[in-house]
Amino acid sequence: MTQTRRSLVIAALGGLLAASPALAQEPTGKLVLYTSQPEKDAAQTTAAFKKAYPKVEVEIFRSGTTEVMGKLAAEISAGQPRADVLLIADAASMEILKKDGRLLAYPGAKVDGLQPGSFDADKTYFGSKLITTGIAVNTGAKTRPTSWTDLGNPELKGQISMPSPLYSGAAAIMLSTMTARPDLGWKLFEQLKANEAVAVRGNGAVLRAVATGEKTFGVLVDFMAFNAKAQGSPIDFIFPKEGAPAVTEPVAILKTNKNEAASKAFVDFILSDDGQKLALAMGYIPAKPSVGSPAWLPAGTKINVMASDIAAVVKATEADKARFATMFGN
Amino acid sequence: MSLADASTTRTRVVETGLLWGLVFLVAGLSLLPIGRLVFEGLAPGGQLSTSSLGKVLASPTTWTATANSLVTAIAGTVLAVLLGGTVALVTSLTDIRARNAFTFCFVLPLMIAPQVTALAWLQLFGPSSTLLKLIGMAPALGSRNPLYSREGIILLLGLQYAPLVFLTLRAGLRALPKELIEAGLAAGASPLTVLRTVVLPLMTPPLIAGIALCFVSSLGNFGIPAFLGIPGNFLVLPTLIYQRLAGLGPGVLSEVAILSLLIGVIAMAGILVQDFMLRRRDFRITTTSSAARPFELGRWRTPVEILLWTVAILILALPFLGLITTSLIPAFGVPLNARTATLANYAYVLFEHAAAKRAFVNSFVMSATAAIVIVLICVPLAYFIVWKKSRLLRLLNMAAELPYAMPGVVLAIAAILLFLKPLPLLGFSLYNTIWIIVFAYLARFLVLGLRPIVSGYLQLDRTLEEAAQIAGAGLVRRLVTIIFPLVAPAAVAGALLIFLTAFNELTVSALLWTSGTETLGVVVFSFEQGGDSTYASALAAVTVVVTIGLMLSTLLFASKLPQGVLPWRD
Amino acid sequence: MARLKIDRARKYFGSYTALDDVSLDVEDGEFIAVLGASGCGKTTLLRQIAGFDKLDGGQITIGDRLLSSSERHVPPEHRKIGIVFQSYALWPHMNVAENVAYGLTVAGVRDPERARRVAAALDLVGLTGFAERRPGLLSGGQRQRVALARCLVTEPSLVLLDEPLANLDVHLRASMEEEFSRFHERTGTTMVYITHDQAEAMALADRIAVMDRGRLLQLATPSLLYREPANATVAGFIGDGMILPARLLSKPEAGRCKVEVLGVEAVMRCRPDQPAAGHAQICLRARDFAIVQENEGIAARVDRLSYQGGFFRMEVRPVASSETVLHLDAPEPAPAGPGDIIGLRISDGWVIPEPDRAA
Repeated sequence: MTQTRRSLVIAALGGLLAASPALAQEPTGKLVLYTSQPEKDAAQTTAAFKKAYPKVEVEIFRSGTTEVMGKLAAEISAGQPRADVLLIADAASMEILKKDGRLLAYPGAKVDGLQPGSFDADKTYFGSKLITTGIAVNTGAKTRPTSWTDLGNPELKGQISMPSPLYSGAAAIMLSTMTARPDLGWKLFEQLKANEAVAVRGNGAVLRAVATGEKTFGVLVDFMAFNAKAQGSPIDFIFPKEGAPAVTEPVAILKTNKNEAASKAFVDFILSDDGQKLALAMGYIPAKPSVGSPAWLPAGTKINVMASDIAAVVKATEADKARFATMFGN
Repeated sequence: MSLADASTTRTRVVETGLLWGLVFLVAGLSLLPIGRLVFEGLAPGGQLSTSSLGKVLASPTTWTATANSLVTAIAGTVLAVLLGGTVALVTSLTDIRARNAFTFCFVLPLMIAPQVTALAWLQLFGPSSTLLKLIGMAPALGSRNPLYSREGIILLLGLQYAPLVFLTLRAGLRALPKELIEAGLAAGASPLTVLRTVVLPLMTPPLIAGIALCFVSSLGNFGIPAFLGIPGNFLVLPTLIYQRLAGLGPGVLSEVAILSLLIGVIAMAGILVQDFMLRRRDFRITTTSSAARPFELGRWRTPVEILLWTVAILILALPFLGLITTSLIPAFGVPLNARTATLANYAYVLFEHAAAKRAFVNSFVMSATAAIVIVLICVPLAYFIVWKKSRLLRLLNMAAELPYAMPGVVLAIAAILLFLKPLPLLGFSLYNTIWIIVFAYLARFLVLGLRPIVSGYLQLDRTLEEAAQIAGAGLVRRLVTIIFPLVAPAAVAGALLIFLTAFNELTVSALLWTSGTETLGVVVFSFEQGGDSTYASALAAVTVVVTIGLMLSTLLFASKLPQGVLPWRD
Repeated sequence: MARLKIDRARKYFGSYTALDDVSLDVEDGEFIAVLGASGCGKTTLLRQIAGFDKLDGGQITIGDRLLSSSERHVPPEHRKIGIVFQSYALWPHMNVAENVAYGLTVAGVRDPERARRVAAALDLVGLTGFAERRPGLLSGGQRQRVALARCLVTEPSLVLLDEPLANLDVHLRASMEEEFSRFHERTGTTMVYITHDQAEAMALADRIAVMDRGRLLQLATPSLLYREPANATVAGFIGDGMILPARLLSKPEAGRCKVEVLGVEAVMRCRPDQPAAGHAQICLRARDFAIVQENEGIAARVDRLSYQGGFFRMEVRPVASSETVLHLDAPEPAPAGPGDIIGLRISDGWVIPEPDRAA
């Protein structure tokens, strides 16, 4: 009840402030953010946002993508989604929410300069960065694969680890994106199976396997490999030449949000140069190439991002996962 | 009305009130979240629909996972019973030395998260195993780890839950009077025959309680099959549920709810078996003599001690060492040596990370609250279940199993569905407060307290209560002054199980925490997820050390406690 | 007023009748023993009096206070009675003094009054100096005394004793029996003593209630029970009575009548209202037989002799009906050995008034 009263007071204050023309645009009140960003990143994001919009109070729930979506689904089912904005790992989840009519279109979002294809054409969700998936290699490896197809090389037998698409949304996107490619297709996964690649629960487990040398090669997201390398782990990262599938960690506003102004401000912030520089500083490839590229990326590296049709991915994902499960089942 | 009549009425009011209070409490903790899930499973969003039910039941994957769950849970339980039971018997009935220290060490693994244990064992059997290299049996680089299999899951479930059987059985053995053993020996029976014909039959209630706990724990375990089963695509129900949840899309919640109820049905079937096994005999121990004199092992003593400590090292020291090594290196894969070793991870989680400190306090307060409240509920609850044979509560006794058997994330979803909106009549919402987590803990861990305490009652001679009743003591006074002290060993074992399990719990709070109510599990999980496993290990190692400290501190006031209450103190 | 009145008490366990119309009147200050084999319903009766179970019919009152009926049930804690349990039920987590003091504490009695009464109770049972001991460290007899002290310290007007001597050895039993008697005399408490041991019951009780299969068969003083059992079951149970078929030959006169038994005529004690003719059952005791010359009385063959210390118990079979086994006491040295034929004379006996109840 205190909370209601406080938000009333804030609303009243907001009303007063709105009366003065200079501050008319400034959003106020509480903003609830659900995110699957790593904890440190989430803290930095909210801190930077608060600095830009000091009158907005941010409440945050952070967990794994599955947990965040599970919580949101439960809240929706109970009839009161609490989140105003979402910032989660993959666009497929966003696409599903969009289909359910849960997302608010924000036509006014400033998408200039963003990587094409990183945001929804209907302006309901916007990629905040590019998290590519490539090949991680333990520095002790004797060979260095340069392409996805190299993973089918019998020399690598028993030495490959990858995240299971059955448990990770990002890996599921990767699966559908890669199997849809004529040059890779299911053949690649058949080869991976023949090479006894082991699918583990998530990227963290892949990192652990490759860094500790349990497996020599791993299908892994870029930033995890580079952050570990920066801390001293014996790990390298290779962008395969066919291209790297990517997730965009999109941001979106829920239709049921309780503070549209602040929600829009959050999207604006994420897409702004400042927001993009922040992503860069955290070690990600920003969605806006103009702000620069992360320090770990050798200068001049052109990342070949594998194009992905999210709508098609969402359509295909169930069947692809089922096929994967059968293929990798014992 | 005479004075006596008034007091009779008051007695009746107190007893009936207590009974109904318990009924409502247990129904609220068990049936309410389950009922909400049933509703979600059959009528998602309020619209009656059997499509999810049909989809789940028609899917062959469901039944594969069910069969796998049954096999791993049963085999894991058997292993845990063999290991934990043997260790409990040896430590309680023989003259091995340093048994308190051993007991202490054997209980500790309960608080090491299953995934940590799983990792340590994977390393032990993997190509990089220091141990296997030492004996020249390290598998070739790239060979498949044998633990990525059904057998691996069974092995680790058995190791993880052996302490459950150990704790419940040890509490039961404390009540075994020496005459019974001596009578057997005097009749010419060998110690082994006495064990088989006297000790084990009398220990049926705690043994059954331990078996029941192991079974539901194994059935509901997610961490071990997630680590060992996913690589081999060996599905069990909890991993299948998580898979469905990760799949998103419409109808996910109702499918997840139905799968969880399937786990619940299996767990309840286990309870029916347990009930049936307990109904056949009388286990009350009526004498009040001192504890049994230990069997002398003679020249076998040293070998047995070596064997026991090897087991303890395998199940405690190994994972703990894994934690320590990881926590001392700057990043994964960096070899640990004098040059690379760093305390930076500890410094970060202890001094820099605000949430980690808060999480310690939160987890401690919530686990301790859950342990204490559950014991306070279970002592009268088991009274009505065992002695008053209240039918209603016996049914609820089964329902208490459900929130523990299902994955924590599902219970959390049920809690969200229940408590998102303000409570009817009261007008405030538990959502985003510490209380929703406390509720979920109470619901989830109720059975961990209930099973040992019920077994404690089954071993108790009721005339001890009747004597107090005749002396004029009302129910509440009897519960406090007579019954509670008598079931205290079982109650403390239960409280310990709850505290240790809740202190490390992750899956429930992962969905229910909010800024300020982080738990240790949430913080560890956050670190892991961000790839900061070194921080995660440091925090987990600190947790273990703090818990050891807390457990040791109980020795300070142990002399004030009734004998046999602390498992690690003779 | 502590008169215990049990009126047509009924208790069923499923289809099993545990108490079948049991009525019992216990006078204030009386010592009653309830005697019967295990499963006869005596413990059920005790649990009804104590209030641990609910009655299905009839009622139980103490003084003018209705404690149990099918509609009303005063819980045990409000009955103000004492029990000594067979297992003693001492609380292992309390020492002797705490065990004894419990009832006083519950009743709101505080130190120093409480301490004084505990000390007095312990003194009464001869356990002064044991106050700090744990029950686990006491001998059986000492535990028994603690249980007694705990029961008596609150001065209940009615004390129930549930086979209190069953767990003690023979020597201890004798001394505890004495102790119970002394107690009863000193305190004047009404006592109901449950036992399966008739010697105990005989030695202690003012009156004995014999139970069988949930029924009260007879309530009488020990001597009356022995001398004039009301039915064949009591007759057989008490004092090793032998029950034999007989034919009545005369009207009762001065409490005796003539009967024909085992083919001879004998004079028996009987009720004044005994019919003068027809079939009946009689109860004979070992001492009712006298050994006479072989050609006198009933001819019988000796089966077995067993030495009892100072005399022999002799088992014989009448030659005329060899399926009947009789036993009698023979002085030392034995007048006959196994296989010998002796003559028997019946010197006394009792005509059982309710022969139909024969089991």
